[in-house]
Amino acid sequence: MQHIGCQPPLNSKNKKKKETDYFADNQLIEQHFTKPGSKGVWIVKMAYPRTHNPFADEEEEEEQHRSSGGFDDPQERGMSEAERKQRFLQQEVMRTAKSAVVSSQRSLGLIYESEKIGTETAEEVIRQGEALKRTERMVDNMGKDLETSQKHINSIKSVWGGLVNYFKAKPETTKPPPEEPVAYQASSKLQNAMSHSKEHEDKYQASHPNLRKLDTEGFGASASVDDSSSNQNGYPANRQLRAAHQTLDNNLDEMSLGLGRLKNLGLGLQSEIENQDTSLDNLLGKVDKMDLKINKTNQQIKNLK
Amino acid sequence: MDNSGKEKEASALMAEAEKKLKSSQSFFGALFGGSSKMEEACDLYARAANMYKMAKNWCAAGNAFSQAARLHLQLQSKHDAATNFIDAGNAFKKADPQEAINCLNRAIEIYTDMGRFTIAAKHHISIAEIFETELVDIDKAIAHYEQAADYYKGEESTSSANKCLLKVATYVAQLEQYQKAIEIYEQVGTNAMDSTLLKYSAKDYFFKAALCHFCVDMLNAKLALQKYEEMFPAFSDSRECKLVKKLLDAYEEQNVDVYTDAVKEYDTVSRLDQWLTTMLLRIKKTIQEDESDLR
Repeated sequence: MQHIGCQPPLNSKNKKKKETDYFADNQLIEQHFTKPGSKGVWIVKMAYPRTHNPFADEEEEEEQHRSSGGFDDPQERGMSEAERKQRFLQQEVMRTAKSAVVSSQRSLGLIYESEKIGTETAEEVIRQGEALKRTERMVDNMGKDLETSQKHINSIKSVWGGLVNYFKAKPETTKPPPEEPVAYQASSKLQNAMSHSKEHEDKYQASHPNLRKLDTEGFGASASVDDSSSNQNGYPANRQLRAAHQTLDNNLDEMSLGLGRLKNLGLGLQSEIENQDTSLDNLLGKVDKMDLKINKTNQQIKNLK
Repeated sequence: MDNSGKEKEASALMAEAEKKLKSSQSFFGALFGGSSKMEEACDLYARAANMYKMAKNWCAAGNAFSQAARLHLQLQSKHDAATNFIDAGNAFKKADPQEAINCLNRAIEIYTDMGRFTIAAKHHISIAEIFETELVDIDKAIAHYEQAADYYKGEESTSSANKCLLKVATYVAQLEQYQKAIEIYEQVGTNAMDSTLLKYSAKDYFFKAALCHFCVDMLNAKLALQKYEEMFPAFSDSRECKLVKKLLDAYEEQNVDVYTDAVKEYDTVSRLDQWLTTMLLRIKKTIQEDESDLR
């Protein structure tokens, strides 16, 4: 607000053009001086377009306020200009805050949706795992049955084979127990990972600068609005802004929790699918062997005919 | 794709099969290896059925498969009979659902006889799905789902059993048999709590159980909610639990607006599906009725 400080008292219209020139010169001078120095100030000046001389507007306003008295004019002029800008900025802030809240709601919704899809996938994967275990058990049973049938075929083929059978040990017909424990091994590993990640999550939240910054930003903005404008219009905007920021904070907290859960879910799915992958490979090998055995047995039976 | 040609071929095969069958049943046929003739007839029936399938004549295909299946039964090969009945059922699904259900039922009988309960359960599910979609008969669908769940439990496949039980619960709750639904949801929820992967869906089940409690009586819902929170601490953090608490408060105050607001707020983040909306509407109606009673 250096301009206002150094402007000469205005008393007549005649000096209008002179003043604009003076101010324009002032601007130029200030630009020259501030160019090598603080860039921030220069950028602020560049915000005012060259064609639009703000002080030209102020002069027009000042002419209107002339009746109200000379001494108050400079202050009011400054306040009105600043006030307008402030109001504009306030509205901008509210708008961005609202859009931030809305987008955070949307992302929260998306997180919950992906969690739902993840849980459904998890259930399917577990069901598949059980089916795989059942299949493996059945293939083992098939193997045993094939062995018994092989023995019968041997005895049918020749008397010598029958004698050999008599001396060979009888195949055991024990059923393998249902393999539930395999699932739990994976889960203990996951539980450890889960508890670790939970601890880290708390530390992460406390140490993350952005999260703290947002708090101060929210309240800092409202504080600065308080300071600069002493009229009543500032307060409602404050409260709304504060509320918006609070909802934003809440949503972000929920989002971080949700993302943590999603990560653990993903890790769990990964380990379960890896286990199933290995058991699928085992199953493939067993089934191939079984196929060969069945073909052999079929051939033998055909030859017997 | 010469479909009409296939049909003619198929009918020719059927005729041939029937001839073979007749010949095998005559005196000389039985003497000179009638069973092999019957097996050949079975094969012919199966081939004819496949050709009918190609020609998209589902009824004829289904018939051919059933014939083949009956022959297999006579030949005492139960497995083949059952598989042919299943094929017949699948073919009939597209044309005549009732006939499909008959074939599937017969197949299930054979499988349970042989002790193959898993496959039987799977086919119970198929029948239940037909009752869900084509012949809309919810009671029978529920019965079949329950039977499938029992078989799966017998075979130690708890997650498949749970899948069937959940379907039973959704339908049963819609038919206002809340007690049964509550039992199922609580059972599945406690089961899910222990597993690392499934616990993310446990909160969903407890939420549904709490809603069913709510439909019966509010106090029940409160007690149930406390019980679930004790059992499963992660449930209290979930948005579902917070929603139920808000709904309970709205019910106590008999305030419909608060109720609708809470539901709307939940809906903005996660959409409510058909079942949830029905249950919430029912609870809302009880609030409105109480309000009018008080007046």
